[in-house]
Amino acid sequence: MADPSDLELLEDGLRKTMLSTSGAELDAALTELGWADMLTEMPEQAVPLVFRLLGETGSHASVLNDVVQQAADRELGATPALPYAGGGWVVWDYQATTGSTLGGLPLRRVEDGGLLRLADARRALGWWLVGASRAMLALARQHALDRVQFGRPIAGFQAVRHRLAETLVAIEGAEATLSLSGADNPDLTALLAKAAAGKAALTTVKHCQQVLGGIGFTAEHDLHVHVERVLVLDGLLGSSKELTRKAGAGLRARGSVPRLVDL
Amino acid sequence: MNVAEFRTNLRAWLDENDLTPPPGNHSLDAHHAQHSRVLRALYDAGWMRWGWPESAGGLGGPMILRAIVGEEVVGRRLDEPGPYSMLEVLTPTMIDYARPELAAEMVPRLLSGSETWCQGFSEPGSGSDLASLTTRAEQRGDAWVVNGQKVWTSFAQYASRCVLLTRTGGPDTPNHEAITAFFVDIDSPGITVRPLRTMHGVDEFCEVYFDDVVVPADRMLGSPGDGWKLAMDLLPYERSTCFWQRIAYLYARFDALVDEVKDLGQAADSEMGEAYLALHTLRCRSWATQHRLADGHKLGPDTSIDKVLLAGAEQQLYDTARDLLPGAIELDDTDWRTEFLYSRAATIYGGTAEVQRNIIARRLLDLGKE
Repeated sequence: MADPSDLELLEDGLRKTMLSTSGAELDAALTELGWADMLTEMPEQAVPLVFRLLGETGSHASVLNDVVQQAADRELGATPALPYAGGGWVVWDYQATTGSTLGGLPLRRVEDGGLLRLADARRALGWWLVGASRAMLALARQHALDRVQFGRPIAGFQAVRHRLAETLVAIEGAEATLSLSGADNPDLTALLAKAAAGKAALTTVKHCQQVLGGIGFTAEHDLHVHVERVLVLDGLLGSSKELTRKAGAGLRARGSVPRLVDL
Repeated sequence: MNVAEFRTNLRAWLDENDLTPPPGNHSLDAHHAQHSRVLRALYDAGWMRWGWPESAGGLGGPMILRAIVGEEVVGRRLDEPGPYSMLEVLTPTMIDYARPELAAEMVPRLLSGSETWCQGFSEPGSGSDLASLTTRAEQRGDAWVVNGQKVWTSFAQYASRCVLLTRTGGPDTPNHEAITAFFVDIDSPGITVRPLRTMHGVDEFCEVYFDDVVVPADRMLGSPGDGWKLAMDLLPYERSTCFWQRIAYLYARFDALVDEVKDLGQAADSEMGEAYLALHTLRCRSWATQHRLADGHKLGPDTSIDKVLLAGAEQQLYDTARDLLPGAIELDDTDWRTEFLYSRAATIYGGTAEVQRNIIARRLLDLGKE
């Protein structure tokens, strides 16, 4: 357990690092910052923090592997095969690959994989998706305030305002599902949280892309980095659509609706 | 007060004391009778008094106890969410704004079910723009005289009293300082209550007419001009404890839907999953809101997010029921029909979906004026 001021310092340090490095370099930097210790000693704080910041900064690292390994009580540093939407499998390499994955993430398809406990990793990805969503919303909000058409900032138009409001609702809702500790049923809680985060991120992509108009479609604007990241991360460990269907199947099997949280 | 222990004891008490409504009668009169019966029993056993201050007849303890009682009562379908939720809207208002003696006299009547009250806010010309209301109160000696009309006043036909918003300021007074609230006896001469027919067939909303109604000055809630603040102060309660009850109700109905669609097999999984995800997201958000309130935070525009999530999840649940139970709403006279139709209002009452988005855009996203 770290106290709030320590966490703030840690957050500042991580953010600076992530804004200046990405990929294998960031992996190395995170190792130096004590990522392995954070993961074993304070995972409840470190995992949401690190993954949310990856999303907010648009950086990437292969730390998801470590979350999966840790949950299985295996050594860090490996690249387990991870399930991908549609029954596929991928590995997340430590070194940049010249692969075909959207947005330059070092993911490549593999033939097969084994059963893994995915709850922790799904929550981690959920935080990443929420972080990316917040980054997109910040970009779209600033654009709406800066961009003048018809003689006024487009933020003054209700159609634009309501899209951005809808986006915030989706993000806040997803974050609430991620914040639930889920002691009663960690697997279902994590599954729903990943589904909510994926759905919120796709909603955010849709609205923010629209609000950003033409500039958001260019590679010179940062939006595309987040859009591409979100599309890949939504599919990883099961897409929002798939996980939602799975939750529905669970209700059918159980015959009632788990409340998952009491006051 | 240990919250988990409180819930366990309450559940045990409710298991032992059967307050299930008598079968067969779904009329509004029957709902009202059941509401009074359940509240009386819960009040006498003390449950209804926890979480309210002792100065108003309560037993003290944290507010979150009220949400727990509400969840059990409404989630078990002992009382309907509509009538039950009035407690949470009106009681804090009385405690915060009425003279202490008036609150001490009146609040126990409401909590024990011996009286119901209504809330006279909306008017034919003042819906989303509530501050434009025109029902006037004019001072004459020791009393105030009220003239005007209210609408959408839930359960006014059963109510003994009304928390009423009136305009007392002149044309030059800014809207938000021109409104004053009163606690009015519904049997005062000059009040006419007329239930509205609605599309879902339950006549819970009324028009209330005020024709030279004399209200004693000591029935003013707060001071002249406090009415707008009173209306705004009530929102956090409406959007926290009340929502938690409504969520409990929606989960109970979703349980019923899971049972009714079980023969559909996999074909229902996606839609049921979507409905579940929406409800779960809402429940998690509301859980956090209850705890923020319990920890002493002031709730504000952030509850517009809860409101948007609730209206969306509610409509989605009943859309799912209509899709997966073909004909149940159109061809058969089931509860699903009434509830489906009622759910269409979820994006209208208590602040429309559009007003919520305006608030989120202005206050939470800081997008400036339109």
